[in-house]
Parts: sequence; structure tokens; C-alpha cells
Amino acid sequence: MSGGPNPAVGNTQSSPVTAPVAKGRVTVQDAAVQFLHKGRAVQALSPISMELAPASFTAVIGPSGCGKSTLLNAIAGFTPLTGGAIGIDGTPVTGPSPRVGVMFQQYALFPWFTAIGNIEFALKRFGMPKAERREIAMQALAEVGLANKAANYPGQLSGGMRQRVALARTLAARPDVLLMDEPFGALDAQTRIAMQELLLGIWESRRTTVLFITHDIEEALVLSDRVLVMSAAPGRFVDEIAIHSPRPRSVEQIDDTFIENRARMLRLLRHADAAPSSPPSR
Amino acid sequence: MAKIAQFFVSMGLLLLLWTGVSTSGMVNPEFIPAPATIFTASVELYRDGVLLSDLSISLQRAAIGFALGAFLGVVLGLLTSRIRPVGYALHPLLNVLRPIPAIALAPLAIVWFGIGEPSKYFLITYTVFLAVWLNTDHGASHVASTYIRASRSLGAGTWREFFEVVIPAAAPHIVSGLRLGAALAFLSLVAAELTGASSGIGYRIQESRQFFRTDRMFVGLVELGLLGGLLDFVFQQISRRVVHWEQT
Repeated sequence: MSGGPNPAVGNTQSSPVTAPVAKGRVTVQDAAVQFLHKGRAVQALSPISMELAPASFTAVIGPSGCGKSTLLNAIAGFTPLTGGAIGIDGTPVTGPSPRVGVMFQQYALFPWFTAIGNIEFALKRFGMPKAERREIAMQALAEVGLANKAANYPGQLSGGMRQRVALARTLAARPDVLLMDEPFGALDAQTRIAMQELLLGIWESRRTTVLFITHDIEEALVLSDRVLVMSAAPGRFVDEIAIHSPRPRSVEQIDDTFIENRARMLRLLRHADAAPSSPPSR
Repeated sequence: MAKIAQFFVSMGLLLLLWTGVSTSGMVNPEFIPAPATIFTASVELYRDGVLLSDLSISLQRAAIGFALGAFLGVVLGLLTSRIRPVGYALHPLLNVLRPIPAIALAPLAIVWFGIGEPSKYFLITYTVFLAVWLNTDHGASHVASTYIRASRSLGAGTWREFFEVVIPAAAPHIVSGLRLGAALAFLSLVAAELTGASSGIGYRIQESRQFFRTDRMFVGLVELGLLGGLLDFVFQQISRRVVHWEQT
């Protein structure tokens, strides 16, 4: 699949002719990651396949150690595959690239740069004049509501503010695909909801392809178009739930499907946790 | 400020106790002269013109040796930590050199460079270099992988990653290496001056022994203590500003 002749084929089923080539299609084909730990082969990611359509928002949920973070790291180009292939718009992933933006759980902002300095770091790849770079960085900060914190260092910001800067920084590099590895996992409940609200707003206006990894069922349901449920190690996709709630969404709006989907996922995850396949792992 | 107050309180108590002991007749003043005697000796050395000239020549040696050693240490540390073959070739050397103290190298330095200034520079440079190399290497080889990953996925090339991520991430270690190096510069300075020199604080201590002038020896010791302490204090203040993000 990754070496496919025409990556644009089938991008949008509704308008087959003269559709603009939407960017950000991610194709994962039998991707597997294995590494040696004390001389023993450990399967960090058992062969798995999936596809992310351009401009889609997909959440992956699953128990700890199921391989969801490894999957994300492989798509980001951080972890080399030992089997299968991953392609983005037809080009195979061979290493980290600015086409794929990553937002980490925490501690990824550079503490030696100010908030605006961190965003400028991402803009430098465009080689624009300094004044223009500063202006764009300022706009990016304003978009996440932190225009007045431009000169602050990450150490002077709260956890929620840091993640807002991190989101702005990741988006500033204009990635085609945005990977988020439990980005709000370390935040308290209120800040987390505020961040989800912010992400919804920004994403609905930009529509970058998103892969969002989370532990939190409600977070997955509120944000995404589709939720993939992974089983305990060796992780496989055991279910796929399409979320039809209309957009623009709000964290407070809960419809009937939400409750129903939540119950379904809870059931699945309970089974996933109690997977009988490998007794020693939790 | 509280630190400075603490310093004066502590030193004041020490002086009081010292004066008390040396005037009580419990110890031979030839061995442990009273603070007042030491002060008189320092005034005497000052009048002779050697106090300041010793001080300036010693500081000059320490400064030149430190600058050379620090520069070489930072450069080599970055090379051994970030370029795999260089690290492979040179890391064992680091472990072999580390246990060799400057004082053990002093005779060899004199054979190589003579009794003049270059042998002093060599010994101080060597000592500072090792400390700075070790710390820089450690700091730059343990850069958090999240920083490197973030940098690469934000499109930074190798050079930008090196200058804007690796060096700042290693900076706290580099700075503490420099601070240690500054302290070691003084230690090796004395080692160099005790063995074959005709000026400097270490030489003056050695010379005083020949005339059994313990008071002059103490002048040299006090100079070393105060200078080293002051230097470290200044270094701490500077590093607090340079790597400001490390405090939180």
C-alpha cells in the first residue's frame, strides 16, 4: 500500500473528479516493532494495520502496554519498524519529519526558550525573515490564548499553559498529520476539559489529520470521528466506533450516542484488560 | 545576602576562637600563629611588593590554564558525546587519565616545558580540561530523548539541533563542569608552583618553609582559601543566570 501508484485515489468518495489532493493520509500496513531486552525478543507492537483519512480525527484507546504509544512513535518515525510499512501520502516513513507533528504528554517544550521562542523554533524551517517569524509566532500564541505570556519561560507557566504552547508550537510547523500521545494526561480535570475545548476549536478550523492516543473514554468520544479500541498486549484493534455527533462540538454537549458508545467501550476495555492470551502481563 | 552574612558570622567566630587559642599559650605560636601575626605578615609581604605580584602571577596562570582547559574540554566533550566513533576511540582514555593527579605530572611537565610558565599552564590546563570534558560529555550524551524527538519532528536539521537543543540541554552540566574546573585550577596551580617556580602563592608558601615563617605560610593559605571561595561564589552567581531554567 505504501508504494501505491496514486496516493490521491479514493481520498474523497463524494467528489471523485478534480478533488484537491487532500494531504495527511496515513497508511499502516502490518506494522510491527520488536526489540531485544536482555537477549529476549519483546514484541512492542504486534503486526497491525489501519488507515487515517485526510482531515480525520481518530482516537486510539487501550490498556497500558498494548502498544498504542509504540504505534504512534512508529508513525512519527521515532521507532523503526521491524516489519510492515507506514506511509504518509504514499511516502514511506523513515524517520522524524516535519510533515508529522507530535505533541507529547509533557516536558517537551524547550525550557531554555521562552514561550514565543519555542514557537519560533518550529517556524525556523520556513526560512522567513525574523520579524515575520515573530509575528506569526505571536499569532499562534494568541490563538491558544497566551499572547500575554510570550516572554515567559516554560518553567514560569502552569501545566495547562505549557501544553497550550506545545500545541501552538506543533501546529506552527504546519504538519499534515498531528500525533498526540495522551497530551492532556498529566493535567487536572478542569484544565483537561479546557484543553479539549481549545483543541476542538482549533482542529475544526484546520482539519489536520489527527491520531490521538488516550486512556480516557470520554475524551476519545468528545474529540474524535472514530475511536479504535486496542486489546491488551499483544495489542490488536478489537473494535472501531464511528462517532456521528455533529460538529462543531462542545465538551458539554452530550447526546444519546455518547452514553451508548461509552457503555460499549467500557465493556470492550474490561474485556481487553482481562485478555487471557498472555497470563504474566496485566 | 544571607549567604554573605553567614560567611562573616562563621569567619568571625573562627577568628575569635583562633585568637583565643593562640593567646592562651596552649599552642606554640611558631606552629600556629595568631590571626594578628598573620595579618602583620601579610602587611609585610605587601610592603615588600611580593603579595600583589604573587597574587597577579598566580591568577594569571590559573586564568590562562582555565581558559585553555575549559575550551578544550567543552569542544572535546561535545565531540565525544555526539560523534560515535570519536566517543568510541576516546572514552577509555578519559577513564585512564582521570586518576592521574596534576601533582604526579609536575615533574614530567618540567622535563617537557622547563621551569617557566608553560609547565604551569600545562598542569592547570590538563586538570581543568579533564573535569570539563567529563561533565560536558556526560551532559551532552544524556540529552532527554523527548527534546531530540521534538526538535527533529519540528524540522530542525543537525546543526540547529546541535546548537539550539543539545548545547542548551547540556548547559547545566557544562556549567557545573566549569565551576569544578575553576576550583581545580587553583588546586593544580599550587601543585605546579610548589614544584619548581620562582613566584606565585604556592612558591611563597614553599619559600616560607625554608625560613620557618609559618605566619607567611598562613598568608598564602588564607589567600588561596579566600580566592577560591570568592571565585566559586562568582561562578555560582553567573551560572544561575546562564542556566536560569534549571532552578524550577
